[in-house]
Amino acid sequence: MSEEIVKIKGSKSGLKLDFAQGADFASIERDIRGKLESGSGFFTRGTVIQVSPSALRKGDRDRLKKLFSQHGVLFRTTDPLQELKAREKKQAEKQKAVEKKHEEEVQQMVVVNRTLRGGQEIRTDSSVLICGNVNPGAQIIAGGSIDVRGTCRGVVHAGANGNTQAFIVADKLMPMQIRIANLIARAPDDAAPEESDNAERAMIRDGQIVIESIKR
Amino acid sequence: MSEVIVITSGKGGVGKTTTTANLGAGLAIAGKRVALIDVDTGLRNLDLLLGLENRIMYDLIDVTEGRQPYKKALVKHKKFSSLYLLPTSQVKDKSAVRPEQLIKLCEEMRPEFDYILIDCPAGIEQGFATAIAAADCAIVVTMPEISAVRDADKIIGELGRADKNNIKLIVNRIRPQMVEKGDMLDMEDINDLLSIECIGQVPDDELVIKATNDGKPVITMEKSMAGQAYRNIVRRIFGEQVPFMTFPKEGFFGRLKKAFGL
Repeated sequence: MSEEIVKIKGSKSGLKLDFAQGADFASIERDIRGKLESGSGFFTRGTVIQVSPSALRKGDRDRLKKLFSQHGVLFRTTDPLQELKAREKKQAEKQKAVEKKHEEEVQQMVVVNRTLRGGQEIRTDSSVLICGNVNPGAQIIAGGSIDVRGTCRGVVHAGANGNTQAFIVADKLMPMQIRIANLIARAPDDAAPEESDNAERAMIRDGQIVIESIKR
Repeated sequence: MSEVIVITSGKGGVGKTTTTANLGAGLAIAGKRVALIDVDTGLRNLDLLLGLENRIMYDLIDVTEGRQPYKKALVKHKKFSSLYLLPTSQVKDKSAVRPEQLIKLCEEMRPEFDYILIDCPAGIEQGFATAIAAADCAIVVTMPEISAVRDADKIIGELGRADKNNIKLIVNRIRPQMVEKGDMLDMEDINDLLSIECIGQVPDDELVIKATNDGKPVITMEKSMAGQAYRNIVRRIFGEQVPFMTFPKEGFFGRLKKAFGL
């Protein structure tokens, strides 16, 4: 055989088949079948075979696919270069989307420049900044984190959509209930809560809500 | 320039009507022309506190429905010649007056009076919305008790939502001995939570009950602590800086002990 009818090249994403100019499909098929059945170990199970879509007619492609699948080899008619490009493009888009989302999140932070009184409620998917107090009977339900620049005595729920990284900060943190993601902590029944001079932060650590004093 | 002040509280029984009657009388004593409008339709009391029940001919509903001019419905106080009461109906309910009707009425009354005080019903429903609609400013009455303070907080929020941001606070029925012992909320706790300007701290005074039953506002009683507190509030409404009263620190036994030098 002076020239191989089917040439196999290795590429980044698998093996690529090239066919000799003018070879008819019958001989191509015969050649491949021979290679597969010889058990040369070239085509191990799970190998991905790629063929340029222009190289074969559709009916022939389907027959090859069937032949390969009998031997546990995946057969795809794609150009790896194009695929790589497509993949890069997709990734770039994804990256863009993430950036955009991040931007939106920053923009979407809800800032409330007053005291939240009993019966008032803030409900949002983003984070919340309260410049004022959160009085008992008031409620904040935020998808993100909550920052109270004042005394927090109401019910606060951060990470309401399940974000366990969300946290709650307040100059004076003495709420009725703290909820983060799906965890709930409530104020102790007895006695007044101990007062801290520092701001405090509530967050999830080791599966439970912990409160620590912070400087700011 | 007349001022329309609504006296409100959220919770019932904290002394809205008592406050309205006393401030009305106090402002009238100071020579101001004062109208009191009772908006607590169906549960009217303001006329009782002023001892004017038997003089009522027409009521607020007659006026807002256009059956009578407001001047015909006004009841002049028997003692204070510049104090008038516009009573409400005892048979109708809160839906009988709409906010825009009260706004129109107050606009009509403004030229004739220096102060128009509106006695608001308890609650945050329609009666409340009607009562606050015409007001330039609001006085929130509360008591040193957790539920009254919480309701005051809610009311302040509701007032803010209605764009009524000139809000003053009166803390009524303070029992100094209980505060002293730590059994009652003190002013610091209340201010901490409500954070609005306080213009009055009125002690709990048995004379208030007697005054209510007699139909004579306690502000006229020289010896009453509550009366003194109300007189101070009137001065603060005029913009004077009046220090808050200090209540006698010890109770009866404390004073007794002191008398015996113990």
